[in-house]
Parts: sequence; C-alpha cells; structure tokens
Amino acid sequence: MTVPQPIRHFLLRSYPIIVLLVLYEMMTRFGLVSQRLLPSLVLIARQLWRGLENGDLVHHTSVTLYRTGFGFSLALVGGVVIGFAMAQSRLAEKLIDPIFTFGYPIPKIALYPAIVLLLGLGSRSTIALVFLECIYPIAIHVHAGVRSVNRSLVWAARSMGASRARIFARVLVPASLPFLFTGLRIALPLALIVTIVTEIIGESEGLGYYITFSSASFEYARALAAFVVVGVVGFCLDRALIYAGGRIVFWQKSISIME
Amino acid sequence: MARLVNWGLGLLLPAALIVLWQYEGWRNALPRYLPMPSVIADQWLEMLYSGELFVHAGRSLFRALTGFVIGSMFGLALGLAAAALRPIEDFCEPLISLTYPIPKIAALPIIFAWFGLGDESKVIIIAVSVFYPLYVATFAGAKVTTREHIWAARNMGAGRWRIVMHVLLPSALPQIFNGLRVGLALSFVVMFVAELVSSSQGLGYLITFAQDNERFDLMFVAIVTIGIFGFIADRLLLVVRRSFLAGYLPAAERQ
Amino acid sequence: MPQPVISVRGLGKSFQRAGKTVVAIRNFDLTVEEGEFIAIVGPSGCGKSTFLHMLGGFESVSEGELLLDGKPVLAPGPDRGMVFQEFALFPWRTVAENVTWGLEAQGKNKKECRAIADQLLAMIGLAQFRDHYPAELSGGMKQRVAIARTLAYDPRILLMDEPFGSLDAQNRELMQEELQAIWNDTRKTVIFITHDIEEAIYLADRVIVFTARPGRTKAELRIDLPRPRAIDVKKLNTFLEYRNRAWDLLRDEVLAARKEFA
Repeated sequence: MTVPQPIRHFLLRSYPIIVLLVLYEMMTRFGLVSQRLLPSLVLIARQLWRGLENGDLVHHTSVTLYRTGFGFSLALVGGVVIGFAMAQSRLAEKLIDPIFTFGYPIPKIALYPAIVLLLGLGSRSTIALVFLECIYPIAIHVHAGVRSVNRSLVWAARSMGASRARIFARVLVPASLPFLFTGLRIALPLALIVTIVTEIIGESEGLGYYITFSSASFEYARALAAFVVVGVVGFCLDRALIYAGGRIVFWQKSISIME
Repeated sequence: MARLVNWGLGLLLPAALIVLWQYEGWRNALPRYLPMPSVIADQWLEMLYSGELFVHAGRSLFRALTGFVIGSMFGLALGLAAAALRPIEDFCEPLISLTYPIPKIAALPIIFAWFGLGDESKVIIIAVSVFYPLYVATFAGAKVTTREHIWAARNMGAGRWRIVMHVLLPSALPQIFNGLRVGLALSFVVMFVAELVSSSQGLGYLITFAQDNERFDLMFVAIVTIGIFGFIADRLLLVVRRSFLAGYLPAAERQ
Repeated sequence: MPQPVISVRGLGKSFQRAGKTVVAIRNFDLTVEEGEFIAIVGPSGCGKSTFLHMLGGFESVSEGELLLDGKPVLAPGPDRGMVFQEFALFPWRTVAENVTWGLEAQGKNKKECRAIADQLLAMIGLAQFRDHYPAELSGGMKQRVAIARTLAYDPRILLMDEPFGSLDAQNRELMQEELQAIWNDTRKTVIFITHDIEEAIYLADRVIVFTARPGRTKAELRIDLPRPRAIDVKKLNTFLEYRNRAWDLLRDEVLAARKEFA
C-alpha cells in the first residue's frame, strides 16, 4: 500500500523543518551550546504560551499588525492612483517616473529619523514610512500592468462601441490586476519589515520592541518566541494575499513573485 | 532635444521641493529640527574636507559591502546547487519559502545579544538578509533554463559540473542581477538599521549622535550621504550588469 | 550482414500528464543501417519528436527495445548529435563560441576549436558573423549555426527534429540543398523529422509515415531516386508519384489526429 499523494507531498515539504528543529533541540539539550543563548524549544514554546495567555504578545502583535495594515492600505491606494496616472498620462509619467527610478536605491529607512522629527515617535511615523516604502513596488507594478494591456484588447473594445469609462473598468482594470498582485506580494513583506524595524529602532510597542526589550533583559526565550510570532504573522499575511489574489484574479494560474 | 526636456521634467518635482524648502528656511519659517538645504550642504562639504565623512561613511560601507558579498556568494552557490540537485532543492525550498516572509532584521536584537555589538553581528545580519534574494533569484533563474539547452549540453557530452557552470549559471545571470540589485539595496538598509540600534562609528551612529546632541544638520548629512551611496552603488551595479549581459539579451538592457 | 546501427522493436512510450496516462508511441519497429538517411513524417503530436528524444537518450523507454549497435540507449552522448527544432543555441555565447561548445566540452584546445569553427562557419556562409550573438541573427541563420554546432564534433548519427520548420519557404529549399550536399560528403546516419512530405522525399533513402497517436509505422517508402539529387528532382514524375502516395497515406492520419483533438 503506498502512501497517498497529498500526505507524501506534505511530508516531503516539511521534513527539512522537522530535521532542523530536532537538531536544534538536541544541540541545546546536550549542552553543545549554552542554554542561556539558545533556549530549548520547550522553553520557547512555554514563553510563547505565556505571552499569549497574559495578553502581552497579543497586544504587541496587534499593534504591529495595525501599523503594517494601515500603512499598507494607504500605499495600496496611493500606489494604484500613481500607477494609473503614470500609465494614462505621459506628462505624469515624465514627472513621476524619475523619482521612482532614482529614488528606488535610496534606503527609505534613512528618512525615518527625519520623519520622526516631523511626526513624532509612535504609529504615525511608522505608518508614514511603510507608506513611502510600499508605494514604490505597487506603483511600479500597476504602471507596468496598465501599460502592458494589449492594444488589440483596447481596440477590440472600442470597435465594439465601449466608452472610455467602460474600457477603463472592464479592460484596463482586470488586465492590470495580476500585476497589481505581484506588486502587493512584494510590498506586504516590506510593510512588515519596515514596521518591525521602526519598532526595533525606537518604539515602545510592537513586536520589534518586544524582541529588543526581551533580548536586552537576557530573556532570550521570550525574544525567540516573539520572533516565531513574527514569522507566523509574515507567513499568514503572505498566504492570505495569495488566497485573495487567487480569488480575485481567478483567470491566472498562479501569482509568481518573480515576474 | 526631447531628451533634455525629459530630463528637465524629471527633475522638476524634486527641484521644486528643494527650492521651496530653501525658501521657507530663508524666511525662517522652518521648524527647529529642519535645517535649510544650504546649511546641510555646508555641513556636508565641511565633513568631507575634514575627512570625518570618510571615517563614518567608510565604516558603514565596509560593513554593508562585506555582508553583501558574503550573503551573495552563499545565496548564489546554494541557489545553483538547489537548481541542479533535486535532494538539495527538496531540503532547501520548504525552509526558504517558510522563512522568506520573516523579516530577518527581527533577529537583530537577538544576534546582538549573542555575538556582541561589534561589526561581526552587523555583517552577519546583513549577510543573512542578502542571502535570501540572491538564493531566490539564482534558483528561479537557473530553474527556468530551457530543457532544450540542457539536452543540447548533455548531447554534446557535457558533464554535470559543466552543465551547472556553463549552462545553468549563464542562463540565470539576468535573474541573478535582479537579485543582486535587491540585495545591494537591502544591505544598505540593514546596515543602516543595525547602526542605528548600536554602533560607535558609521552613518547610523552619526544619526544617533546627532539626535542626542540636537545637531540636526549632521543628521541630514548622514541621511543624504546614505542616499547618495545607495544610488551610486545601484548605478555601478547596472553598469556591471550591462557589460556582463552584453549582446546576450538586448531586452534586458532597460530594466 | 552487418548489424544495423539502430534497431527498434515493439517500442512504446507513455507519459503521465495531469493524472492521465498519455500513450505517445506504441508498437513501433524500425531498423536503420549505417549511412542511411531516414525521414519520418506524421501528423502533429503523433510521437515523432518523442521517438527522437528517446534515441537521443533524453527520454526513457517505456516498452520494447531501442538498441544502438545492439546495446540499449541509456544516456545522451556526442555520438548522436541532435539538432533541435528551437535551435537551442546558447544566447550568452557568440556564434563561433556556440559552434565550438561541444568541442570544448570534450576537452579540445583553443586552437583546434578555432580551426574547426572557421571551417564550418565558412561552409555555412556565416564567417563574418562569428562574433555576433544569436539574438542578432535571423531564424535561418540560427538554424545554420545549430547545424554547424552539431557537425563540429562529428557525431556518428544525426538526429534532426524539424530543423527547417521555422524557416520561410525560400530558405527552406536552400537549406535542403545544403544538407544534401553535406550528407553526400559525410554519409552519416540521419534520422530526420519533418512535416513537409516533399522535403522528406527529396532528402531521404526511406520515408517512414507515422500514424496518429499512439504513433507507429503506418508505411515505409523506399525512395529510389538517384544521388546526388539536384533540387529540380522535385519536378520529376517519379518524385510526384512518391509524393502523392505519401500524402494519401498521411492524409488519413492527419484527419484522425484532428478528430482526436476536436
């Protein structure tokens, strides 16, 4: 009797993680590494549970999620608007595109201290930075998406008597959606990263802060537990986006991160 | 002629912003913490001449580039290996896709705690961060090597090593350069953040120092410098890329 | 009686595609002597390319036997030079470098490579393009480079998968003549796949008509036209007779293949 396909597939995918976790646990148990630096998985799990129980982790996670989500949403709106503007108007493209091409390699995070000066510490600066960082990939991809719309599609629509508005809504928007989602898939991890980074640098709330604070107090199990939470959050957000993408852009097989 | 107009239009918005900024400063209407562009430029030049800028910028650059090179090498090597050998792919792919969305930078405080606050920790975290885009790009690029190319190579008697180095690798080169671009930008970002958290020299340190001493002009000098670095590094990479991919894929010329 | 170079008996090949089993070839027999030029014609998707891939060692045998000099084919190798339909030139190397790729893989030194490259490039008429990249060449030129590349390491057998498929009608004829000339000089064993019946008859000693999927031999035509064949052999009556016979045989299969995909 052979093992059924889906189970076999799952085992194949998860065995490396299991192997590593086991190795890790053995390393800490057998004292190959100091127990202080690398707490055993059990300890980490315990801290994870405790943090969830007493609401600490939950609170900080929700703060991080709020900042990530809000900043990302703003960037989504802004990116779409700018992307469309650039695609539809030559003038807009000439004005804005250089900012994107030249601004791309400049680490937006370098502006964070300046933003903090303007908006003060707290969620506002973080959201502003997330907005700045994420608007790039989204706008670029939307721009490319609208530009890529096959001229013959537009011409076909026009010869069938469609108005400009109809063409916009029924042809341009759907055709550029796959590109939008590729951009979103790139932007979402960025949003999370930027949020965590700002929290590490100088916040008093959020998962980044929690990790910093725990590490500083030598509570490595707690720090690692929070790290795990970050991983889970990042993973879930990514999956959620893939799912949403699959439903909304149902005609495309899969949204790949490399275009 | 059209070229010039395009250039002009492109610079319009940023230039307007700077002019407005300068104007407001001239009118003394700027908040305390926002120095005029002319003041910033002054300070920048002063630090350049005194050599101080080199000290900090050099340190930052050293960390970023070291981490970048190390991370890239590992990412490239493992990406190729995974594309060439099924067992390696089976082992790495689940791990990488699981940990990919995790901001590696979240491990920064932990790494600092383990390895101290020195350069090693920073280089480590930079290398780990850069590893990912390089691995993903190399793996993806090598994986889509056309079947016929590999068959042609085998047909001509090429051994496995030759196939990896002379077919998979060149095939993946455009994608690898994309990964390098992302990795390079990333190395500056991570370096900057790591320095902000803790360092004794470098552009990030300069900012913390500036914040502590209310020297906002210094802060902007650091910000501007890192912006310039990021930009120049990227342009250099594009030049390198163009020479590597010459004639190879004319479409890849413009990114 | 010398052993045939290639011996195929009861050959079968099936694939798994989206959970279903697709039988590409079933019960295919063929014997090829050294120095023969064999052409295979058949409807699209009938398994001709698959057969060539199996001969080349890229696909495995599902059923039956496929012998080369009496031994089963296990892996690709430079003794069976393959010319792909899509050329498969390496875009990151120049024309000259592409031509010598196989030689380099076999460890020949620079000087030898250069000499052979020069000779071949002159023969295919692309000597002045030696330092250009494939992206700068037309389809016809790329195909010539692909053929030159395969000839460079002098394989014993040539496997050609619709090599002139992407060429326009004019270039096609020229290439057919050139191939004829090359084969006349070297007398290699050639397995040549094509859609074009006239092309097959012009070039081959024997034309195998493949059935629709699952593919096997429908009929074999021995072409008794004198060699060397000038291009205007195509106007001869005997040629037209062959052509009509072949088309009659093929037509049924093409229709059958159409029905399958309908």
